[in-house]
Order: sequence, then C-alpha cells, then structure tokens
Amino acid sequence: MNSPPLTEFARAFLAIAGEPLPFKPHSVHDRDGDCIEFFTKPDPFYGERVDDLVTVYLSQETDQIVGALLKGVKRFCEKTLEKYPGFGIEIQDGKVGLACLFRAKAWASPKTTDKMLVFTYRKLIEAAEAAEAEMELCEAGA
Amino acid sequence: MSDEGTRREKLTVKAINPVDGKSYEVALSHSRIKETAKRGMGAILEASRLVEYVIQNPTAIFEGIRRDADDPNYGASWRCYCGLPTCAFNASGKEVNPPAGMVFLVFVNDEMVVYNWRWDKADADTPRYPHNYKDRFRERVL
Repeated sequence: MNSPPLTEFARAFLAIAGEPLPFKPHSVHDRDGDCIEFFTKPDPFYGERVDDLVTVYLSQETDQIVGALLKGVKRFCEKTLEKYPGFGIEIQDGKVGLACLFRAKAWASPKTTDKMLVFTYRKLIEAAEAAEAEMELCEAGA
Repeated sequence: MSDEGTRREKLTVKAINPVDGKSYEVALSHSRIKETAKRGMGAILEASRLVEYVIQNPTAIFEGIRRDADDPNYGASWRCYCGLPTCAFNASGKEVNPPAGMVFLVFVNDEMVVYNWRWDKADADTPRYPHNYKDRFRERVL
C-alpha cells in the first residue's frame, strides 16, 4: 500500500471540502454531469450499472445498496412527461421524489422478469422513501 | 454563496490528454468538492488523492459513454479515465488496500469538468479496464 503524494491539488481540495459532516441520507444534483447521486450510508462503495438511468452503489464490505447514481435525469423526465403527461402530477413546486423517479423507470422497464432488477428497484424505492429524497426539476420544463 | 456560485468556482488539476499524451487542465466545481464532506473523511480523502492519481496515471481512457440505446450520440465527447490506485480509504479515512477486483473511474464532461468518480468492477479478461468496457464505451482512446 502506497498512497499518492499530498499534492497542491490535494491540499486545496481538503481546504475547500472542510471538515467532514455527520452522515445523513442525502441526494446531490450535479448539473455538470446531469446526474443525481443518492446516498443512504457512508460506506465506501463501488458502482454497478443497472440500466441506462441507474447505477447502483454497493458497499465494498457488505455488497448492500448504499446509494445510487441517476444519469441523464433531465432527459428521462422530459421523455416520461411526453409519454405520460400524468407524470406531472408527481411534480410539486418543481420538485419530484426520487422514489417516484425510480418507480417510473421500473414501470417502463421491459425486464420485469429479471428478479435482480426488481429487487434492486424495490430497495432503491424503499431507501428513497425513507430518506424523503427529492430533486428539483425546473430545468426539465416541469 | 449560492449553489450556482460554488458550481462556477472551480479547482483545476492536470490530466493526461489522450490526444497527444501531454497534460491539460480539467476542473472540479467547489460545490462538488463540498458535497464530499457530507459522506465523511473517507470520501474526502478518496476524492482528494485518487482522482488526481488516476487522471494522471490512467490504465485506459475511454470516450463516448453509452447510456441510452436510442440516442447514439449522447455523451459522445465525454471521457472516462480508468486507473489502479495503490490504496483506498475506509469510511473513517484510514488508508487501506484497494478493493480486490476493482478499478477507479473518473468521469469528465465535454466542458472538461470532472463530475463523478468511483470504484467499479474490473473486467474479468482485462483487469486494468472496467467491467464490460466493450459495451459501455464507444472507443478506448488510450
């Protein structure tokens, strides 16, 4: 084990990040990547792609779901609203619950016989509901 | 400072340019850096030490992230740096061995902004590359 050197970049990063905060489940909307990250536990994780929208984050120690990345959310919402205008009911004050996004994607999935996919989406929906996670959708034209 | 304000503020870092093998600058938004503090010291150290290492010492660089089958140009100019850091960090920030069978990925968008990074499963046949790399990316450029 040999860690990379503490460079000027690393020092600046540490200064900007500041002190670590007590962990709480949370979501992060990153406009630079048009993605949302959702975290339920602070475990170090690895990613495993579920489909074109969702990459699930799994604990490196337990392989349990500890979060997820939703990529291309703006496009997904636009397409969903086009196909199912009633999806707009779920949007309040420009925000939509992540559980609703997971559910919409799961319902549109052709692979409902895939038990692992069903299990993963159920777990993500449960976690998003428990955390009451939501995202702003203003840019999606909602 | 608003989220938009901290998104515009950037910390730059050198990366290997696959076009000519020389260095070029990519950036991380301050808001993205501050978000890592919500996941604890391990996440801060992972990002501050491993991102720079991988974009300067990649085992491969891919372009054209395939996410959506009905939009072949989506993400066409985006890059994914893949690397094998010599260490990792647990949740509390203690340096540990890198997880077995994993590579570290760093994603850069077409505005040269680093927007995501994570451990990911290594490919079974080519462990220096990410799992299923032939289907996930349009091409390997390094």
